[in-house]
Amino acid sequence: MFVEVVAPAPGSPPPRAARPPLGRRVVAGAQPYLYLAPALALLGVWTYRPLAQTVQLSFYSWNLLPSTPMTPVGLRNYQRLIDLPDLGQAAVRTVVVIVGLLPFSVVIPVLVGLVTRQVRDRARVVYQAMVFAPTLVAPVASAAVWQWLLDPGAGVVNKVLGTRLNWLHETGSAQFAIIVITGWSVLGFATLVVSAGLAGINGDYGEAAQLDGASRGQITRWITLPLLSPTLVFLVLMTVLLSAQWTFPLIDTLTQGGPARATTNVYYLLWDYSFHSYDAGLGAAAGVLLFAAFGLVAAGLVRLSERLSFHDD
Amino acid sequence: MTDSWQDPRSRRWRAVRGHAVLAVLGLLCVFPIYWLYATSLRRPGDVYSLSPLPWPLSWQSYADAASKVDVLGLLGNTTLVAALTSVGQLLTGLLAAYAFAAWEFRLKRVLYLAFVGTWLVPFQVTMLPNYVLLFQLGLLNTLAGVVIPTLCSALGVLLLRQHLAGFPKELLEAARMDGRSSWTTLWTVVVPNLRPALAALAILLFVNAWNEYFWPAMVLRRSNAMLQLGLRSFMGTEGDDWGPLMALAGLACLPVFLLYLVLQRHIVNAFVRSGLR
Repeated sequence: MFVEVVAPAPGSPPPRAARPPLGRRVVAGAQPYLYLAPALALLGVWTYRPLAQTVQLSFYSWNLLPSTPMTPVGLRNYQRLIDLPDLGQAAVRTVVVIVGLLPFSVVIPVLVGLVTRQVRDRARVVYQAMVFAPTLVAPVASAAVWQWLLDPGAGVVNKVLGTRLNWLHETGSAQFAIIVITGWSVLGFATLVVSAGLAGINGDYGEAAQLDGASRGQITRWITLPLLSPTLVFLVLMTVLLSAQWTFPLIDTLTQGGPARATTNVYYLLWDYSFHSYDAGLGAAAGVLLFAAFGLVAAGLVRLSERLSFHDD
Repeated sequence: MTDSWQDPRSRRWRAVRGHAVLAVLGLLCVFPIYWLYATSLRRPGDVYSLSPLPWPLSWQSYADAASKVDVLGLLGNTTLVAALTSVGQLLTGLLAAYAFAAWEFRLKRVLYLAFVGTWLVPFQVTMLPNYVLLFQLGLLNTLAGVVIPTLCSALGVLLLRQHLAGFPKELLEAARMDGRSSWTTLWTVVVPNLRPALAALAILLFVNAWNEYFWPAMVLRRSNAMLQLGLRSFMGTEGDDWGPLMALAGLACLPVFLLYLVLQRHIVNAFVRSGLR
């Protein structure tokens, strides 16, 4: 009589080769974690612990005074945020800043990076230094010098243009001025990142294409830019996530979010809620929403980059 | 890359066009900095002058600024904080990036996202709890309180990982075959090959730390012991006194400019060499 033989379960492990002793495997397995430990400990204590506390704070009402107790209010802070028009308007202004900064943080740096390759070494060093210089200027110092350049009475910009515009205190131009000043200081850094990315591209591909008769434009479009794509995604991501941070010191020293809130982006709104209105719970709730929104945007960009990136393997 | 396959005339035309574009852009970038120093060097009566050269020169604005602010003390404090911060960030970043580049491990993706995720956490969200913790540790109003919370830079980790991603795995493998420990491999194989990236990153981190002002402003509430804070309070009190204000702003930028001028050659050389590899 035949008995049906049970086939081995599909999930059963294949026979293994002999492995090194357990002790050594544990040590080897722990190595990457040991290298990561200092950085991770700092992140935990100074970034994620306070983030968790802020989430907690967003369900309370508190005026920042140690003497007054925090009172739990449930979701009321979030309700108030949605009811107030501030947050939506600030979000729109944040998007305007991001879009306005992309030319400075991605487009011009790539053009500069490509053009500098056609210039001889010594001149290239000089140009790179000139473009990079503004990145070295401290935000407060650049606020000071731009306040002087844009001064309505005696500033160079108005004298050269023959206008008497009060750039930083008119609703139409204040945001524009903040974008240009920020772009001015970000450009050099982005250019350095692009140069590093270009220097890391293996020249053999271009030479091979050149031997096959490809033109310079074709090499740029089909070889250089695809190989540069990880750098480009990095720059876009950085602009989206950090532009509101970059503008923050300038806004705080030059316009204080005004005129008529024209330069109040989400970070400044948050700061305003916590430290001008002394409404820590509302500020925390806005921070939590901001964190969630940026998380979604970043996840989308990272996914996009994984699909678009080409690697020089 | 050589252009030997194209005729010299079009190559020369391209070079001229490149020079023109870069020169205009470079001048636009440099002009505000030039004007900053030009204004600071004019005589007090000439501050509103539009002449491109500040002539006759005068140190009066610097003397005025120095009489109101302890410039040397500010420079010393700021240098100390920026140096400690950038060295610490470089070290933690190098170790973390090395872990990501040299090993496959279970939590790799999650932990990498933990670094990327710090970009989603704005300073304004963490500032209040961190302030409370520093208060409990007794580090408020100390320079240590400014440095310690910033010793890990996600930017450093991410940039170094980008560079290490292109690092030939064969070299790591060869070092392992030689029986070198991962620690020795890091310092004898990875770091020497990564020097251009490390030098560039070190400058960036130093400049970032030098220019940081919101966190120091929160920690050092009782004093304006760092340059950015001193400058900000000067802007508040002497707002329209452009000469001394530009002098102080110029002094606040000068050390960073000098550092860059000295180190830039090394970075560029390193880039050129890695390009020829």
